[in-house]
Amino acid sequence: MTENTAILNGHEIRFEPGDTILTAAERMGVDIPTLCHDPRLKPAGACRTCLVEIKKRPKLAPACATALTPGMEIVTHNERIERHVRTLLALYLTDHAVHGEASIVSEQGTGNKLIDLARAYDAPLDWPSLDNIRKGRPEDVNPYVTFQPEKCIACARCTRYCAEVESVSAITMAERGSRTTVFTADGRSLMDTTCELCGGCIDTCPTGAMTEKKPLLARVDSSKALKKVRTTCNYCGVGCQMDLNVDPDGNEGRGKVVKVTSPPPGTTTNDGNLCVKGRFAYDFIDHNERLTTPLVRGEDGKLHEATWDEAYRRAAEGLIKVSTQHGPNALGFVSSSRCTMEENYLMQKMSRAVFHTNNVHQCAAT
Amino acid sequence: MTNSINEIRGADFLFVIGSNTTEAHPIIAMEMKRAVHRGAKLVVADPRSIDLTRLAHRHLKLTPGTDVWLLNAMAHVILVEDLIDPVFIEQHTENFEAMREEALKYPPEEAEKVTGVPAEDIRATAREYATTDKAGIYYTLGITEHTHGTDNVYCLANLVLMTGHLGKPSSGMNPLRGQNNVQGANDAGATPIFYPGYQRVDDPEVQAKYEAAWGTELSPEPGMNLNVMMKTLGKGIKGMLVMGEDIVMSEPNTAKLEAGLNNMEFLVVQDIFLNETARFADVVFPASCFAEKDGTFTNSERRVQRVRKAVEPPGEAKADWSILQNLANACGAGWNYRHPSEIYAELARYAPRFSGISHDRIEKEGGIQWPCPDSDHPGTTYLHKGGVLRGKGLFTPVTYRPSAELPDQDFTLILSTGRTLYHYNAATQTRREPGPHGKQPEAFVQIHPKDAGSRSIEHGASVEVRSRRGTIQAKAVVTRDVRRGCVWMPFHFAEAKANTLTNDVGDVITGTAEYKVCAVEVAAVHV
Repeated sequence: MTENTAILNGHEIRFEPGDTILTAAERMGVDIPTLCHDPRLKPAGACRTCLVEIKKRPKLAPACATALTPGMEIVTHNERIERHVRTLLALYLTDHAVHGEASIVSEQGTGNKLIDLARAYDAPLDWPSLDNIRKGRPEDVNPYVTFQPEKCIACARCTRYCAEVESVSAITMAERGSRTTVFTADGRSLMDTTCELCGGCIDTCPTGAMTEKKPLLARVDSSKALKKVRTTCNYCGVGCQMDLNVDPDGNEGRGKVVKVTSPPPGTTTNDGNLCVKGRFAYDFIDHNERLTTPLVRGEDGKLHEATWDEAYRRAAEGLIKVSTQHGPNALGFVSSSRCTMEENYLMQKMSRAVFHTNNVHQCAAT
Repeated sequence: MTNSINEIRGADFLFVIGSNTTEAHPIIAMEMKRAVHRGAKLVVADPRSIDLTRLAHRHLKLTPGTDVWLLNAMAHVILVEDLIDPVFIEQHTENFEAMREEALKYPPEEAEKVTGVPAEDIRATAREYATTDKAGIYYTLGITEHTHGTDNVYCLANLVLMTGHLGKPSSGMNPLRGQNNVQGANDAGATPIFYPGYQRVDDPEVQAKYEAAWGTELSPEPGMNLNVMMKTLGKGIKGMLVMGEDIVMSEPNTAKLEAGLNNMEFLVVQDIFLNETARFADVVFPASCFAEKDGTFTNSERRVQRVRKAVEPPGEAKADWSILQNLANACGAGWNYRHPSEIYAELARYAPRFSGISHDRIEKEGGIQWPCPDSDHPGTTYLHKGGVLRGKGLFTPVTYRPSAELPDQDFTLILSTGRTLYHYNAATQTRREPGPHGKQPEAFVQIHPKDAGSRSIEHGASVEVRSRRGTIQAKAVVTRDVRRGCVWMPFHFAEAKANTLTNDVGDVITGTAEYKVCAVEVAAVHV
């Protein structure tokens, strides 16, 4: 056996120094259940859902936080491990509001990994419930993020994300024991903290304890199937990939974007992250000040609604007149780095091929 | 960017200059923070204390507009201490001696006097940059929005070339593009000197190719850049079509610009909102936003990615590509594109560096980074691998030139403008949103406590900001984040347009205006 090999479920595997059992298993397509794990974060080994058996070690070990060593022999699934996971999930559920899952806006499963795992492992859902005594922040007036303490399992993914990825530490774990909760300094609203409203806490939360306010406030019917459309964010030049979650019946059948989610970590340039603008600033799409008809300036000096034919005709006549009277270089074409590549192509083609001038540029110059 | 975004987390040294990355490119900033958490060293050069300076190992808080001094002094250190990469210089560059001769005129002690950055900090930064293998430079409009913006870029390129920090993962020269499709708009040829793919309009072969492709005669005469167009509105430029930009909000020297717009013979505006510019329009076309149309955006790392239609536009609004096609046809063209994929195919057919990319391929493989010359090419994660693309990397000697308008007796402070995390440019989108609006509802000006004190300005008070071009009001934010003698404002607020104040003098080569330096005075408003 060479130096960097180990045995996983009876198969010899190669690994890089520093690889955990979980990363090696994922590479092989071996599914180990996790709750507190997020590939963007340092392993916490907190939830104990990913425990595996290592030969010659009496105790089960967390796959997410155990580095592979040469010759290590690991078993990820057997009766002992499954019994452990089943019991563990049942214990988590005693401290977790199982009811009301239907209120979560979701498109796969319940949107609650704890419930999904419990069903997959046939964990008892009916053990007596503890009284949930975690504090929330019901008076937090921020418009985007809401925390439902009864669904929190204190896995600290949200607070670790806030510290390790977003690096603002606006939320932190507070209190102890069964009172352990996610809190802000002095319980302030996120609006009055260092929070930058990136919504990464929502994205990483496995149980839906951190969730989005907007769809809840808009009373989006949670049983309705939303259509996910993968697209590119329209704000800065990073080019984050995002999924527009569309209610196809919204806006009298035009469709309505009710939520924006990020693709899973590791799949696109943004690695599962979005910022406040990308994740939340989509209300402009349906804003009542959107232009909905062409406008043409009338003899009274005011803009009036017009048909498309009339608007095209007026625009064409006006541009052609300037070109005829003053020459093509009296025209300017201002394209836009906000628009698509294809639209920019057509704008420069219009300038060059239709009006024979190279006076075409866009805001990227300034 | 010569590198890819996911290479940032593998860098060991990050030199961030003229980029408030956390606010303007939040997701790239996350990658930088992860690099720092992993152990990378971060040096930030910026006139202000910004979020990244909290995490930075060193902050070079230079006087606005003195970048050439700072960067030439770093070159000076690298040259004098012999930290250059002689093999790279020999094999891959030209004009080294000329640059060397110029840079040696910028010793760090002199640089300290001009820039305000301690000579030892300049030395340490130069040494770390030169001696770290995976060292990347990241910059944005703090470098380019100057009359000597191109000079600043040359200085950075000199540092990259003399240390051989190019053509490798996590090591290169990385301008972060400010808007979603800055890269794509330039790639597509929406520039006065280039057809798509940076093919020059005055190159007869290129002209002949496009004349054949489009079946019409074309002009070999380079056009006006935006800065020049804006200065000649109503005079040289008498008719204009403006798509997706609110020039009244975004361009400098608002009063002069509005006077020009009033004198235009004909103006067409195409936008999703009745923006400030539409007040001057003869015809306004209602357009579609990104969620309502198909196409592609190209990001900072040259990755061409799909934009997909998710919902129908409101009312009679149409996709911009469709409006442009109908307008061209009303002017006598015979265009017949049924879908943006057909437009992309035409673009790629005549522009070799994109020829391997198509909507179909992106659908199957996800975004593709150009250059990608044919359909078997995987795309390019970092540029200049195995040698500089143009053959030899060109060193450019750069002589310091002060900014066009410096403080004087009447206007004693330097104003810089910029973007904040919560808003986006003219803020037609973000000010319609409760979160950004709640975090940042109104225009403000950052001013140093000593400058505020000497003017009897209190934190939170209303102040008047004046330049030679106009006056606006804003709320004073008294903070040591800005240097003494400097003030800073965001340009997002229509009721207090920072561009009323800014200077419309542009960089000689690019025409990019000097948004980062103009002289202003600030005074308390007595109600």
